[in-house]
Amino acid sequence: MNCEEYREAITADPSYDGGAAHLSDCAACQAYRREVLALDKTIAGALAIEVPPLKMPALPEIETDTVIALRPRSRSVSTWLAVAATVTIAAVVGFRMLATDVVYESLEEEILAHLDHEPAALVVSDKPVSDRRLNRVVPASIATLGHGAGLITYAQTCVINGKDIPHLVIQGERGPVTVLLMPDEKIDAAADLNGEHTRGVLLPVGEGSIAIIGNREESIAPITSSILKSVAWET
Amino acid sequence: MSSTTDAAARRTRFDDLVGGYYADMFRYAAWLSRDRAVAEDVVQEALLRAWKSLDSLRDDAAAKHWLLTIVRRENARYFERKRLETVDFDNLTGAQSALLAEEPDHQAEHMREAIFELEDDYREPLVLQVLMGYSTNEIAELMGLKQGAVLTRLHRARHKLKESMDK
Repeated sequence: MNCEEYREAITADPSYDGGAAHLSDCAACQAYRREVLALDKTIAGALAIEVPPLKMPALPEIETDTVIALRPRSRSVSTWLAVAATVTIAAVVGFRMLATDVVYESLEEEILAHLDHEPAALVVSDKPVSDRRLNRVVPASIATLGHGAGLITYAQTCVINGKDIPHLVIQGERGPVTVLLMPDEKIDAAADLNGEHTRGVLLPVGEGSIAIIGNREESIAPITSSILKSVAWET
Repeated sequence: MSSTTDAAARRTRFDDLVGGYYADMFRYAAWLSRDRAVAEDVVQEALLRAWKSLDSLRDDAAAKHWLLTIVRRENARYFERKRLETVDFDNLTGAQSALLAEEPDHQAEHMREAIFELEDDYREPLVLQVLMGYSTNEIAELMGLKQGAVLTRLHRARHKLKESMDK
């Protein structure tokens, strides 16, 4: 690492702790780092504006009985696949009808919105991501991923519901298929995911869940089956 | 559990969550809109929306991100409704000036003005990083950007602020 690289990194993120070897040998960068930290202290002070007292708006009464009772979780993969297409469509439709104000605040909505945020990930490719990258995005501390998962062409750590999760793209028969591994996102029942041009499933898996979404022509069931066979949470 | 007890528990949960993050919600809204009065309106709307959709928040540990996301959307909705244009720094309203007029310390006041003048694209990631403690990855997710783009914006934001402070 040289001075320029170090300064770029620390200016973008003052908590950057890489480049220790360079920093210890470079007095100029040590001084630059002190300058950036002092600047950030001034920025933080300036941003911390006075906050007025909380005035709670008039909150409407919520019918607690209308909260959807989710189907008890099944541990059988075949059962998930068999009933997902029937029971969960009704659950999702019912949920949307009852909670008209909930547009983006469900896990399903967040997943679909997340796909819109990363269109560059959804490209047809025959180039697999490196093992090094895959191991970094899906470390053994999260899950083990068998070789039967398919051709993985994209791997990125993303945030869903406030948690870092592995976001993978594998190549399906009709195009790229997104796979989100959410080891800590426990759900009670499978749910369908229906985007404008995409569809998929959100499945409970052990103490977490996995979302698999492809384009509307993609046959999700065989991909789902191979993913479920390939992924094992590290517990 | 009776529905009365359910409703009371729901309200207690909501009050606890909002109590913990209200200051973050207001400051985020204020720096997004650059207007204290707009921020108060946005936060009111965000609280209402959060209340209605509270049952969709499955993990209270994710409440901060959830609430800030709602504030961000409410701010966008507010500006869509009002069709407000960019702020003219030389012709501020009282509520806009109020955002700048609190600081007796000259250096902090100068910095606040410099932040106020930053483009939205630079100011928002800076607020999220410095004030909210977000990682660049989390900022990228919230703003729908690549992490590299976030790093570039943060780098430029600090450069602009440094230049402004050096003047």
